Amino acid sequence: MAEVIVKVKVNGKAYTRAIEPRMLLSDFLREELELKGTHVGCEHGVCGTCTVLVDGETARSCLVFAAQVDGAEVRTIESLAVNGKMNALQEAFWEKHGLQCGFCTPGMLMSATELLEKNPDPSLEEIREAVSSNLCRCTGYYNIVEAVQTAVAKMKEAQA
Amino acid sequence: MNSPHIPKHIPAEGYIPPSRQREAPQGGYKWIGQNMKRVEDPRLLTGQGGYIDDVKLPNMAHAAVLRSDRAHARIKRIDVSKARALPGVLLVMTGEDAKKVTGPTAQFASPPVVQYCIAVDRVRHVGEAVAAVVAETRYIAEDACDLIDVEYEDLPVMVDPEVSMSATGDAVLHPERGPTNLAHRHTYAFGPVDEDFKQADLVVERRLYWPRSGGQPLETVGAVADYQSGTGKFNIHTNSSFLNYVGWLVGASLGVPAHKLNLIPMTTGGSFGSKLFTHKVITLAATLARACGRPVKYLEDRLDNTMSCDNHGSDRIYRCKLALKRDGTMLSLRFQVIDDYGAYLQYGYGTHGNSLCQIVGPYRINSVSMELVAVMTNKCQQGAYRGFGSEVTNWMLERMADAAADELKMDRIALRRHNLIQPDQFPYVIPSGNVYDSGNYPAVMDEALRLADLPKWKQIQAEARAQGRHVGIGMATCQERSVFSATEFWSLNPQETPGFTLTSSPESTQIRVDPTGNVQVTLGSPFWGNSPETMAVQLVAEQFQIDPANINVVYADTNSGFNSTGPGGSRFTVMIAGAIVGASIKVKDKMRRIAGKMMEVGPEDLEFRNGHIGVKGVPGMQKGFGEVALYAHYFRLDLPDGDDWSSGLDAAYVYDHPLTTMPAKDRSHLGIFYPIMGHMCHLALVEVHAKTGKVEILDYVAVHDAGTVVNPMTLAGHIRGGTAQGIGTTLYEQFHYDENGQLLTASFADYLIPTLHEMPPAIRVGHVETPSPFTEYGIKGGGEGGRMGAPGALSSAVEDALQRLGVRVDELPLTPRRVRELIRQAEAR
Amino acid sequence: MKPASFDYVRPDSLGAALQALSRHRDNGKILAGGQSLVPMMNMRVVRPGVLIDINRVPGLDGIRMDGGELVIGALARHSRLLESELVARHCPLMVEAYPHVAHKPIRNRGTLGGNISHADPASEMPAVLVAAEATIVAKRSTGERRIAAAAFFTGPMQTALEPDELLVEVRIPAAPAGQGWAFEEEANRRGDFAMAAIAATVLMKGGTCQRAALAVAGMGDHAARLPAAEALLQGKALDAATIAAAAAEAARSVDPAGSYHADPQYKRDLVGALVERAVGRAAARAK
Repeated sequence: MAEVIVKVKVNGKAYTRAIEPRMLLSDFLREELELKGTHVGCEHGVCGTCTVLVDGETARSCLVFAAQVDGAEVRTIESLAVNGKMNALQEAFWEKHGLQCGFCTPGMLMSATELLEKNPDPSLEEIREAVSSNLCRCTGYYNIVEAVQTAVAKMKEAQA
Repeated sequence: MNSPHIPKHIPAEGYIPPSRQREAPQGGYKWIGQNMKRVEDPRLLTGQGGYIDDVKLPNMAHAAVLRSDRAHARIKRIDVSKARALPGVLLVMTGEDAKKVTGPTAQFASPPVVQYCIAVDRVRHVGEAVAAVVAETRYIAEDACDLIDVEYEDLPVMVDPEVSMSATGDAVLHPERGPTNLAHRHTYAFGPVDEDFKQADLVVERRLYWPRSGGQPLETVGAVADYQSGTGKFNIHTNSSFLNYVGWLVGASLGVPAHKLNLIPMTTGGSFGSKLFTHKVITLAATLARACGRPVKYLEDRLDNTMSCDNHGSDRIYRCKLALKRDGTMLSLRFQVIDDYGAYLQYGYGTHGNSLCQIVGPYRINSVSMELVAVMTNKCQQGAYRGFGSEVTNWMLERMADAAADELKMDRIALRRHNLIQPDQFPYVIPSGNVYDSGNYPAVMDEALRLADLPKWKQIQAEARAQGRHVGIGMATCQERSVFSATEFWSLNPQETPGFTLTSSPESTQIRVDPTGNVQVTLGSPFWGNSPETMAVQLVAEQFQIDPANINVVYADTNSGFNSTGPGGSRFTVMIAGAIVGASIKVKDKMRRIAGKMMEVGPEDLEFRNGHIGVKGVPGMQKGFGEVALYAHYFRLDLPDGDDWSSGLDAAYVYDHPLTTMPAKDRSHLGIFYPIMGHMCHLALVEVHAKTGKVEILDYVAVHDAGTVVNPMTLAGHIRGGTAQGIGTTLYEQFHYDENGQLLTASFADYLIPTLHEMPPAIRVGHVETPSPFTEYGIKGGGEGGRMGAPGALSSAVEDALQRLGVRVDELPLTPRRVRELIRQAEAR
Repeated sequence: MKPASFDYVRPDSLGAALQALSRHRDNGKILAGGQSLVPMMNMRVVRPGVLIDINRVPGLDGIRMDGGELVIGALARHSRLLESELVARHCPLMVEAYPHVAHKPIRNRGTLGGNISHADPASEMPAVLVAAEATIVAKRSTGERRIAAAAFFTGPMQTALEPDELLVEVRIPAAPAGQGWAFEEEANRRGDFAMAAIAATVLMKGGTCQRAALAVAGMGDHAARLPAAEALLQGKALDAATIAAAAAEAARSVDPAGSYHADPQYKRDLVGALVERAVGRAAARAK
């Protein structure tokens, strides 16, 4: 069975790879590109742990074949911190204890990133809607919501 | 003035050993009690966590497991030829192949229930491993699994424990152990149960059913095994916590001595008990690696995990009787519990020991009798889930308390308050022999009621009822024991076969001050999502009065780690604290002596302050912490002869359980085995939508007493996270097997972990602190948190909401379908 | 769980896509959003020999008005439809249903066309299209045909599409002025498949109901109208008693297949409760 060529930008860097069509984007990121920050929780599209951004919109990377992101731009958790400095969202999660085991955290951060990029001043309901997309087994979610609210405030302050 | 309580049937003299506490809680701490941001977070927030699936060794191959699609069958024939021939496949092993080189997996039951990492002769539950494949990629390994042909001969399937306990012939799962699926049946009586029942004005009776649910962390279990044939040594990365405790038992399965097995801990993506000892996965990965000559990664996928991992918690049917006086005083509790353990029995009856450590809850019940009926069925075996059995008896007790209040026509809260152990009765010995070290249960209840604003809730309820809506209020007052002792794993075993009667459950640490004055702490057990590094940093900072930024935490593998039991049973912070205090004392002693030489003062005149060691009461006379460290490492000839002046500053300390004693030989009591006793009061305000059966949580309050709190923010995280799991257990989650033993809730689409949307608007948390007299700083465990109280509070609230219909809650989960069914039945009456 | 191997073709025109579909009619499957298909492939419940990725086919993702119809291309993503002003104006029922459809990442990639071709009995959009009396346009190499929504869904995971037909468009009659609408669902968790769902539209005239359309999903077969319940609303003032009677009739008229989470009796209870809620709200919205 023939391989396909994928030309994709991931976190701003261009890659060209020949892969099996059935390779999932989650495995492509982790195994082909050695980007271990995207985690895999179910491979069933339910938990949201594997959430990444494809052309600026969230996608469950376990439900996307890597072949389908040919020509696209993908962003993962590794794109958030710049030169080792965490961004406002990551800082907010740290401040507000928005994680315990950290396994769902990359997916949560990418869901929050999509929200804030499309809407820098989301309502509480909109934040809750975004966080509801992802399962977390440790925190009970409240601190994650507070973390996103804190990030919103931080980012507004930085703009001012 | 305290008058500690000891039941009459327990010999009082010297029953409670003296405390070994060295750091008495004093308050006014600089670091303890602070909401310090977690040390663990930066690497987790940047995608550099270092979980098991991140491990990639050169030349590593991948394993997949073919699992049984039927619940009980003999394996007649396995044809692996097509699988072996598939390009990219390195190895295919059946149970027979594996058995030639690897013995049964580690287990703690006695008499033993034999289990192999791949099933031999027969499969006993859907999802049991039947064959394993190693290939270049996981994709190919799964392709090969598809090509394996298994011929089964079906055997009778047992899914109902009340049927399975009488099974005979082919329906018996382990005929070599005996001709029955009844693993154990025994009555344990603690105190004068019969006499107490004779005195009762009322006996309340209920049948209660708590089906199995499980932790289901988002990360599954995995191991990367590397075997060096030249040395015969295994190096295995895995996300397990019993590494430095009983990890060597895996070596026993593999036929290698302990020093030929190095287990390497990983950042772990949640456990909730399911990763206490990932021995089956480690044993399998190691067997495959040794056989194929390359490192092998075996990572469970989600289905592997739900069907065969150690997520499944207690699965119990209770028949209970609570004896009371007319004024609501509880006298005695007698119950039978049928526990469906599934197909194997790896942890023995520890979950019932767990129950017995707090079996009277916070109440002054005088005597208890438990008939334990442990049954095996064709389901995945039980592992461990947050509470490890005691969350179930918490729920049972709260159901019985509500039932008693209703039958006595007493207010449910008043009945509880009437029976609470009083603040001056500690240490309180309960009928089973365990000790409650300290507590103030009325204060916790009062704080919960205050936070909830009960009058306001009652007003909301009254207004809703006027509109025909069903709003209810429920309370649970529950214990949260912490720091298990090893005795609970065997104290309920048959006396003829006590098994491995281990009594050690330590935690160790190594503290090293480097020449620059930075401190490295080595923990013997890994990170699960709790906050051990943050705890360690706060505690070490407090001990040495140095900046947390100068403290680093690492984890020891089994090559270099000391005996460490690990997280679980809410014990980690308490035990790390003990180990850190022990090691710190040694290091500080040496530093004082050396600093004393440097400043020509006696060490007793010196104190640690603000990153310095200085003379008490003389602010100007001090040396920098780093200065002393450098001196200690490199200037031997300036110091006296003798081993206690050697170059360097390091100490290891093994901290044993601070308060545990042996069970009585006749098991009239079980000794002290889980005494660091936290407590909680949960209050729930719910609305039940009668037409759909949906339970909506309008408000929720959780007040916890976990003794001295090291980091309130992380403790609150466990309380809320635990409560969220409790909400899941009560309203959404169940591992459900149908009559053919098929697991209907194996995927995340059907096993319903709540999202934020299913949570109440807030879980409002309060604190009360009654420090422990037995632990360092008076810390108690709090990791299991809210899961132990939420089911009681929510069950109570739903009953209260449907009070006019006379609905009783005696079974979980309260799914909309079940609630609707209860309402229908009530309306029909 | 990793999917089994497959051959992968990615046509860049509709013609090429139809040819591929025809050639691989026996073992090919269309890949659009993949949000329904890929989970099944990961579980190896389905193993297509060939995946025909139509995401590069131009012109299939439009949202436009044509005549009095809202025309939605097969590749229009759920997210776009949820945000679309045209949809909000001409099929508000769809917009109200969308928050119940999975979660944002799924809606970002999932397509309306893919969703209804998949025809999960517990899916929301089939009920919306049945209530809205939409028409599905299907094409094959040899031509095109139009299928009324009521005839399109034929069974659980079954549609009227032939193996070599591709759904290219959904055409929805624009909601008449003054029509009330409501979508109600009960699911295990918000975003899960429906245990039961009701899509309702109500057209009032002079204080009585001129026309009501009620479609149910989650009964285990396929989305379908509830004619007996509709008949009890027709020509009546939609007061509480009338609505309750229609709801009770709806509950009687369905024949639910039970699932682990919801037995047939419970589903009937839900249908009754949801019809009552939906008609009430739709009536309140009707002008």
